[in-house]
Amino acid sequence: MLDRLDISMRANHVFSGILALAALIFGVLAAASGDVFYLRLATEALILAGLALSVDILLGFGGLLSLGQALYFGVGAYTAALVLRDVPSFWLALGVSAGVSLIAGIVGGLIANRVRGVYFALITFGMAQVVAKVVYNTRELGASDGLIGIPILEIPLGFVTLSADNPLGFFLLTLSIIAILYAVTAYMLTTSFGRVIIALKANEKRVPFLGYSTWWPRMVAYVLAALIAGVSGALYPMLRGFVSPELMFFSMSGNALIMVIVGGAGTLAGALYGAVLLTMLKSVMGSMTEHHLIAIGLIFIGAILFMPKGIVGVFKPWVERALTPRPGLDRAKDEAAFRSLL
Amino acid sequence: MTDILQTEGLGISFGGLKAVSNVDLAAKANSITTVIGPNGAGKTTLFNLISGSLKPGWGRVLVDGRDVTGRSPAELQHVGLARSFQITNLFFEMTVRENLRLAAQRLEPVRHMLWPPRRTDRAARKVTELIDRFELAAEANEQVGTLSHGEQRRLEIAMCLASEPRVLMLDEPTQGMSHSDTKDTARMIRELAKDVSILLIEHDIGVVMEISDHVVVMHQGQKLAEGSPAQVRADPAVQAAYFGQG
Amino acid sequence: MIEFIQFVLAPQMLNGLALGISVILVALGLTIIFGLLDVINMSHGEFYAIGAFGALALSAFGLNYWVLIALVPVLMIPLGVITERYLVRRVYDGADRHVSTLLLTYGLALILEDVLKIMFGPNTHRPENPLPGATEFVGVFIPTYRLFLIAIGIAVILVVAFVVYRTRLGAMVRAASFDRNMAASLGVRVSWVYSGAFAFGVALAGLAGVLLAPVYSVFPTMGRDFILMAFTVVIVGGMGSIWGAVMAGVVLTQVQAISSLIVSPVWSEPIVFGVMVAVLMLRPQGLFGRIGHA
Repeated sequence: MLDRLDISMRANHVFSGILALAALIFGVLAAASGDVFYLRLATEALILAGLALSVDILLGFGGLLSLGQALYFGVGAYTAALVLRDVPSFWLALGVSAGVSLIAGIVGGLIANRVRGVYFALITFGMAQVVAKVVYNTRELGASDGLIGIPILEIPLGFVTLSADNPLGFFLLTLSIIAILYAVTAYMLTTSFGRVIIALKANEKRVPFLGYSTWWPRMVAYVLAALIAGVSGALYPMLRGFVSPELMFFSMSGNALIMVIVGGAGTLAGALYGAVLLTMLKSVMGSMTEHHLIAIGLIFIGAILFMPKGIVGVFKPWVERALTPRPGLDRAKDEAAFRSLL
Repeated sequence: MTDILQTEGLGISFGGLKAVSNVDLAAKANSITTVIGPNGAGKTTLFNLISGSLKPGWGRVLVDGRDVTGRSPAELQHVGLARSFQITNLFFEMTVRENLRLAAQRLEPVRHMLWPPRRTDRAARKVTELIDRFELAAEANEQVGTLSHGEQRRLEIAMCLASEPRVLMLDEPTQGMSHSDTKDTARMIRELAKDVSILLIEHDIGVVMEISDHVVVMHQGQKLAEGSPAQVRADPAVQAAYFGQG
Repeated sequence: MIEFIQFVLAPQMLNGLALGISVILVALGLTIIFGLLDVINMSHGEFYAIGAFGALALSAFGLNYWVLIALVPVLMIPLGVITERYLVRRVYDGADRHVSTLLLTYGLALILEDVLKIMFGPNTHRPENPLPGATEFVGVFIPTYRLFLIAIGIAVILVVAFVVYRTRLGAMVRAASFDRNMAASLGVRVSWVYSGAFAFGVALAGLAGVLLAPVYSVFPTMGRDFILMAFTVVIVGGMGSIWGAVMAGVVLTQVQAISSLIVSPVWSEPIVFGVMVAVLMLRPQGLFGRIGHA
């Protein structure tokens, strides 16, 4: 039997599906017109969408505000960069990045999950700052300049080999990877285990009385978020050819947060829409003026004050209503009721 | 009949105050044991000690002969202990169905935790069963926060039953209920005792007299008296505690 | 050995103390705002920057620096009141107050930083040191201005503590933070208390900005860099605790000062953050409790 949470998740899929479709159409049109710039920009938007997704898992579903997801994004990016400089293998880089992000997530989770609420936010903030500063000061990691010279990859996909230089190809590959990350996240949240994570946000005090520890679900959510941020980060050097400490700075985490809030927290799709929107906005405004921070800040504040559910959140109730089965169409119940009259 | 739940010399103090001291309790299987006492007697604290919300200062708690003293609420749930709350403590932003599903998930084997929702039959059936039994069908898909007080209290009890516990601890289940709701609830608790052992905190003397098999009176953190409802009612010390200087 | 102490260690520690006092002033504002209003002010660093830029701008009008030290914080009070009244208050009553005020003030920080950049350009400025030269203090040579900074800072801290803990005004504020409705029913003008407390915190940050400007220069991202240290101090000291902020401010800046003698200075900041993380893990409530919460 479907309950409201199931319907809510299905509504999320509707929005994500629309976005995916729009992305495909965009990709085809852009490639057809020979564009390179916008395809790469869109690819970057998708990569950032992965980071935003990791923020939403924690904030929108777990009720945990993490101000340091960029840490794992950066870890993934740097790991991939280091691997690629020696061994230009896409799958190896992705795999190693995933592994390292997982470990980093476990370590970070062990530290951060000892506290909640404000302190959780601040400790994640602090962790990201520490690591960012360490990387910034480490010459082997390129210090403040970061690592450059990431080679252009040839990516074997079984039936065809894709060059990372191919704008449409890499765009579609990134879209697929982000789609997979989305699917994994969505699936996890619909399982019984995912329900417990959601329950933590709803009323943490009651959860132990249901028979669950509060620690495990939070750890799993945190490590999953770290993994997703890391895998997304791994794609970055493949796209841009370099990594720098800025990828771990608070502005990165903050931007992801803005994407989630503006797009709609707790909808998964909102993170994706927010990423696309913010990237587009930055690009458009960046060409007009240097001072886009004001615009972003205003939009952010506007969203918090006037549209706290975010863009997806505003339209979601309509979709949910459309997806809700009408009462009285439950055949089994009707048959049973009928039979009881006989 | 064996004792399904026992406490031996259970106690705790806050600062210098002994909130509960040396309480010996024995609840028989499939019976209703009611704890009564004036406000501040330590009844809820006793519940908190048994259900793992508080770590005892001293003494033991045994479920079916097993020592479970100091275990966490989650571990106690695994041993078959379920507890409802005096102040409704549900997932208010979720629907009735979702609340019950969370509680009923426990019936599924652990590996089902990561399986798709369609495969959790047993939990789904339990949810339907409880919705029917507790007459929550009309509100099944409504947010719990919008339910009436009586409906919320019913849901509190339903949540506890979802995991098919052996011992059910109800903390003032009829609190704030109307007269007719109270009677219905009392009747339902009586019914439940056939499958589950019940430990109850109750203020409504009518309910206590009607459904209890065994009554324990607490006063200022200690066990003052115990016995059948009639015995306890006639006990002069009990009367003094309630109506006297107490 | 004596030379080491006299010419290396002590000056470093005193300089660390000067920084510490300024960090404490900023952290005090932050911890008061959290302790009294339960608000995490992510824009606090920007108010610190505004104080510094304000001093810069006003000094162009030929105003004496001593005047500025008193004037700028006062000018920042209406700024604080407006921010609290029209922004913070609007999300204050939501379910997730900590999260929404944090996000809101973060958005404000973005805006303020860019505004400063627009108004003053991205470059670094350095107002003239009003107390140039060095003085000898207990056998150690320290820049005169820093000595003055330490003195003034300690004075301000003592005044703040006195006001909060020993005056009727302070009692009203603490009552309002503890239980808003109760305080209101006792006749406390809660709305004014909240605006006032926020403005007070902001003014303290501004004061720190003015005081530190001749030492650390003035540039648009100065708020962003400083806020980290301020938050660390607040967390380690205990959110809402004045004495905690003072203790932690002193200890942490000393850790930073002394550790930069041992390891490369660039590592001193990570070390300080590491301390914060450690404290949060072992004792999340910090060294001391919260104001108003006995």
